Amino acid sequence: MTHKILILNGPGLADLGDDDDDNDRGLTLEKVRTECAGLCHSLGIELDFRQTDDQDEMVRWMTQDSEGYDGVIINPVGCSRAATVSLPAYRSAIGTAIRTIALLRKPVVEVHINNIFSRSAETTRPEHEPAGAMGLVCGLGVHGYLLGIRSIAHRFESDATH
Amino acid sequence: MPKTVYIVNGPNLNLLGTREPEIYGASTLKEIEDRCRATGTRHGLNVVFFQSNHEGAIIDRLQEAIDTAQGIVINAAAYTHTSIAIHDALRAFKGFKIELHISNPHLREPFRHVSFISPVVDAVVAGLGIYGYELVLNVMAAELNNDESRRFA
Repeated sequence: MTHKILILNGPGLADLGDDDDDNDRGLTLEKVRTECAGLCHSLGIELDFRQTDDQDEMVRWMTQDSEGYDGVIINPVGCSRAATVSLPAYRSAIGTAIRTIALLRKPVVEVHINNIFSRSAETTRPEHEPAGAMGLVCGLGVHGYLLGIRSIAHRFESDATH
Repeated sequence: MPKTVYIVNGPNLNLLGTREPEIYGASTLKEIEDRCRATGTRHGLNVVFFQSNHEGAIIDRLQEAIDTAQGIVINAAAYTHTSIAIHDALRAFKGFKIELHISNPHLREPFRHVSFISPVVDAVVAGLGIYGYELVLNVMAAELNNDESRRFA
């Protein structure tokens, strides 16, 4: 059976690489998609890679569409300090959605391109606590996505042998 | 000249495999060390693997790394949430730094939700289990063996 992974990118990520933010270093979402597709192909995993600027659609994808997949990677954006949206309601909805997926015992990895904790040295508490997410990777650029894919693939393997 | 990566482990990680295996897994620290060394060898990295229950001993090793290493993977365990001294030592290290946790501290007790380490590292990886060690070493290798742009390329 072929495993299926859903990768969801939240508001603003289509514009990745458009601004002069040094941390993005020219990374585009298309580049992320290409790298993720290449790795999934080599691991024999089916990939559905999506992006939306619509917060409601993001939450709907997470809570409804994720049912048909074996693992989910999300870059919610709005939950981070690098937020292009900062609505508490969105953050809360994302947190609930992550919990929903995790309750189904499906691997979930929350990925952020930059280190969301680095913006302020004074406070380290993220505005959003990634409730429910199995994994958290931030600051590794596109590698964060690839780590997420590899860790989920690793979990598929151990599930198969146990 | 091979690049050197310090993998520094904090308190109680010597009990891995016996302490709350439902959270931390059944593997021992020795098994993790062996896998890290194998991964390092595969990438041509010199791996220095260290564990201590003592804050000062961890700081001594981090200071040693300033002169001898190009990368640090730090799993400071419970000191993550208490140690300003480890924060300062890491801040003095100019190479590539990854904070690593086996479980995801943000899913656990509120006293684990603040990390003094996160603001002074390049990246945070948590909740990927002990496989996280191998995964971050792969990224470290890409970071150190290729040019800077590789990480985001």
